[in-house]
Amino acid sequence: MDFTLLLFFLLAATAVATALGLLLSRNAVYAALFLVLNFATVAVFYLLLGAPFVAMTQVTVYAGAIMVLFLFVIMLLGAEKLPKGEALPWQRPLAIGAAVILFAEAVYLLVQRVRLTAALPDPGTWENSMESLRQMAGMLFTDYLLPFEVTSLLLLVAMIGAIVLTKGERAVRS
Amino acid sequence: MTLANVIEWLVKGLVWVLILLGGFAYLTYYERRALARIQVRVGPNRAGPWGLLQPIADAIKLIFKEEFMPARADKLLFTLAPIITLTPALVITAVVPFGPESASFQLFGRTITWYIADLNVGVLYIMSIASIAVYGIVLAGWSSNNKYATLGGLRSTAQMLSYELALGLSFIAVIVLANSTRLLDIVEAQKGMWFAVLQPVGFVIFLIATLAEVNRAPFDMPEAEQELAAGYHSEYGGMKFALLFMAEYDKMIAICTIAASLFLGGYREPWFLRDTVLGVDQTPWLGPLYVFIKVFILLFGMIWVRATWPRIRYDRLMAFGWKILLPLSLALVFLTSIGMLLAEQVNPLYQWGIPLASLAAGFIAILGMYQTLRRKEYARA
Amino acid sequence: MTAPAPVETLDLAARFPGWVTPDSRPGYSGWIVEKDKLLDFARALRDDLGYDYLSSVTGVDYLPEGKMEVVYHAYKTTGGPGVNFKVQVERRDPVEVPSLVSIYPGAEFQEREAWDLLGIKFTGHPDLRRILMWEDFAGHPLRKDWREAYFEEEFKPFKSRWPEGKFQMAEDKARLGDNLSFPAGFDPRKKTDFDPEKALYEALRQYQKTESGLETEHLLVNIGPHHPSTHGVFRVAVVLDGETIVNLKPVMGYLHRNHEKIGERNTFLMNMPYTDRLDYLTSMSNNFGYALAVEKLMGITPPERAEYIRVMMAELTRIANHVWAIGFLLNDLGAYFTPMLYAQEERELILDIFEAVSGSRMMCNYFRFGGVARDLPDGVLEKVRDLAFDRLPRKVDELENLLADNEIIRARGIGQGVLTAEDAIRYSTSGPLLRASGIPYDVRRAEPYSIYDRLEFDVACRPNGDIYDRMMIRFDEIRQSLRIIQQTVKQIPAGPIMAVKPAYQVRVPPGEAYGRVEGPKGELGFYIVSTGKSSPWRYHVRAPSFINLTAFGPMCVGQKIADLVAILGSIDIVLGECDR
Repeated sequence: MDFTLLLFFLLAATAVATALGLLLSRNAVYAALFLVLNFATVAVFYLLLGAPFVAMTQVTVYAGAIMVLFLFVIMLLGAEKLPKGEALPWQRPLAIGAAVILFAEAVYLLVQRVRLTAALPDPGTWENSMESLRQMAGMLFTDYLLPFEVTSLLLLVAMIGAIVLTKGERAVRS
Repeated sequence: MTLANVIEWLVKGLVWVLILLGGFAYLTYYERRALARIQVRVGPNRAGPWGLLQPIADAIKLIFKEEFMPARADKLLFTLAPIITLTPALVITAVVPFGPESASFQLFGRTITWYIADLNVGVLYIMSIASIAVYGIVLAGWSSNNKYATLGGLRSTAQMLSYELALGLSFIAVIVLANSTRLLDIVEAQKGMWFAVLQPVGFVIFLIATLAEVNRAPFDMPEAEQELAAGYHSEYGGMKFALLFMAEYDKMIAICTIAASLFLGGYREPWFLRDTVLGVDQTPWLGPLYVFIKVFILLFGMIWVRATWPRIRYDRLMAFGWKILLPLSLALVFLTSIGMLLAEQVNPLYQWGIPLASLAAGFIAILGMYQTLRRKEYARA
Repeated sequence: MTAPAPVETLDLAARFPGWVTPDSRPGYSGWIVEKDKLLDFARALRDDLGYDYLSSVTGVDYLPEGKMEVVYHAYKTTGGPGVNFKVQVERRDPVEVPSLVSIYPGAEFQEREAWDLLGIKFTGHPDLRRILMWEDFAGHPLRKDWREAYFEEEFKPFKSRWPEGKFQMAEDKARLGDNLSFPAGFDPRKKTDFDPEKALYEALRQYQKTESGLETEHLLVNIGPHHPSTHGVFRVAVVLDGETIVNLKPVMGYLHRNHEKIGERNTFLMNMPYTDRLDYLTSMSNNFGYALAVEKLMGITPPERAEYIRVMMAELTRIANHVWAIGFLLNDLGAYFTPMLYAQEERELILDIFEAVSGSRMMCNYFRFGGVARDLPDGVLEKVRDLAFDRLPRKVDELENLLADNEIIRARGIGQGVLTAEDAIRYSTSGPLLRASGIPYDVRRAEPYSIYDRLEFDVACRPNGDIYDRMMIRFDEIRQSLRIIQQTVKQIPAGPIMAVKPAYQVRVPPGEAYGRVEGPKGELGFYIVSTGKSSPWRYHVRAPSFINLTAFGPMCVGQKIADLVAILGSIDIVLGECDR
């Protein structure tokens, strides 16, 4: 068996296991950490697919920044322990049903569309990603300029909103 | 990817980790001696000649200490946290080249190069590993079930997130200058001139941000002894503490190695020695030596800062990061890009506009800072 | 040099007829105030007569007369002699006296101490808890009928140990349990559900809730007693909103040894080495205060040469203390030991001089009633001259150059932990803390003792009352101290060093005396009541470290937690004196 394929299965198992851990752990800190592991695994997938830039961004942005903020909030609020029995009565059957459908879809896709022997690019033969970086940047600033600007505007609005919220509190105090 | 490839990586990785571990031990010795010199003391000089065996004595002491675990600590995370902290510190330098391609040598029929991994997105790799380095500290703080430790962990989260931005932007300035994200290219691009000269303010921002990233004085908020007892590692002792300690010092080494590669020409000789026998092109094996010397000098800078400066208050630290460093580094990215564009399109001499413009920007930032301080003093009087 | 303030003839009895009567006991002075009129009297004293500074509050247990007395010493911050007034009440447990905290907030801790140690309940005190003993301690140890677990005799020297010099451990004579007394219904083997911390935490919760749109959770953090920057076993319970301090209560007494009770068992001279242990960094200065108080009672003055030696030693102590304080303040600001070690180098040289004159570097025990223990050995004067004229001025300039313009120190010191001039007086702060807030009040000038009225020096004063000013004023004071030392070195006359023959047992006539000196940390006062016996009947220390802490809470509220450490460092406390 190819080394890369072995790696893939190992990672796939890890990804599924960490996703399950995220769902099943009662401690919010553990759940967040499982999610971090999951992100890291997915990042390695990207690497295997020959997309190192996406992989690194995945780690930096999701695992490195967003999840740290999640942890920050969980720890600040002391909300690590989830209270028991808050689920709505119809929530569990619905969730199980949805999960079964999703799983069936995944299996169908796997069997129908994907050839397990599909060759993954060898990590040793990566192109210099500066080219792909350049292409990506070019696309962002030409073809996708409008969505890009709209997104940045949205983020800016959110940021200002957050500042205004905290500022308002301080103004009242003084 | 062949088995031989994997074995080569493993062996190289092992060797580098061992170097880092030994480097950690002797970095503590180096720091203690240097601090002592600055503080009119002698420093450790009893164990072995010139106290050279002191790190070994320390290691033995730490190994045999009781492994203490606070009651109601989260046992799993409490044990894992030091390991999580140490791992990024060890792997972050995997992409740093220690010698030129020409210094590669043949072993068992394979060409052994002076780097562990030649990653095309080397700089991004460094960024991403640096960004996950905070987890260990946060978890150590949180799992200790101690308010001081938790506060220390939270502080470090906020601090590292804030300074990562300035750090990342100073990386971008380098990427623009070198026109590559690959560290070998970046080092080779400094053949003519170090980026520390081309982008001096970026270099300073990088150094400041890295001080904050590795929690060194004067940004050692997470472990501020005077406020938080010892912050996130208050409850740690024995080998677990040693791992946290090791992580801090290995991070120092790693960050200095990276600084040397990104700004000080890595394994390249100082630019004015390029055509002499001291040049790496002429004498390839000098490469690792140059890296060592640069790291040694940068480390001394870190120790010097620690011996000299009081700690900045936490809110000031955040304000400095967000209000001064971030805008300044954004401006630098902008100026560097303009300068490179002009140098490519019009005249290579425009390259020298970059240091001038960035120095001017840095001067304005310092002036602004000084003015705010002054204004406060007038308000007081 | 200022002329001594004209002595006002103050006839309070005529001014407040029916409220105040003069204290006519032999050896006593001051005024006895009617208990019911105390608040009105104090308000009039502060507002109409200008006695705005309440220096000391303490109590005396006159067991034979069946009376308890609360003694107040108030001064004007413009200088001049003070007024001493008392309230007498019938001895009960507990006695009740109206609290003066509403008029002099600086009485807060001192009244708590009097409640703790003497069982005087101050009605109207905002937070009357025990302060040095723990909350469920039984009894009030400074009462004369309270006896410690291994009580032997009322006064030293104990007959069991003297004159034969035989020594038997008190524990062996009285086995545990034989002389232990428990309150009624208390069984030491049973765990009580009494929580000694409850009162503290309840007191902490009494603060104005901030009005804000977002609810934030407040965090209670105990800093100390085991914490690297509390300068010993000092504890602060802080309520935090994020990193901002909302409220705090200092908790002390971890080093409490009932210095005053020991002092009342000791003979007068035996107390001298005990005063060394009050503020163990400034033992010479402590000796000075105690010697001054007892000399007032005895009515003697030391010879010229002794006075010069005393002043020289006291000023050297001030320098040693201030360089230490600056060094440790820098440590508290997070400078990794470098400034501290630089400062300490100078302190060591001063300690060399102390060692030469007294035989000990820290616990000097050098002063005697009517002089000093030994004359200056050969060569010491030259050493002092070298230090005062050459080395110290140089080194102080160097240290100031290194520190004063450091951006981080300025950023962390300027405008932080501000104590306004009004607050500094109200909270009875003293020493550098008071003078950094713009009040040029220095006992050496306000009510000169020893030879200070003949020496030329300025009272250092800085206007802003922040951490930076409190650091810088210590440099100013070092320079003034150097001026004083330079003068003493030049002017010191030859002659005897003791006014009386040295004796182990001194005769102290009955009466009371309040001797105060300007210690390095602030006004150090000793209130001593003698009944003519070999031991003082009452021996009270007005500890500047302790009283300066009254202003600690108000200074910290609204600051960040890192400032708390810096503010504490800028107050400069020593727990040996604070906890006594």
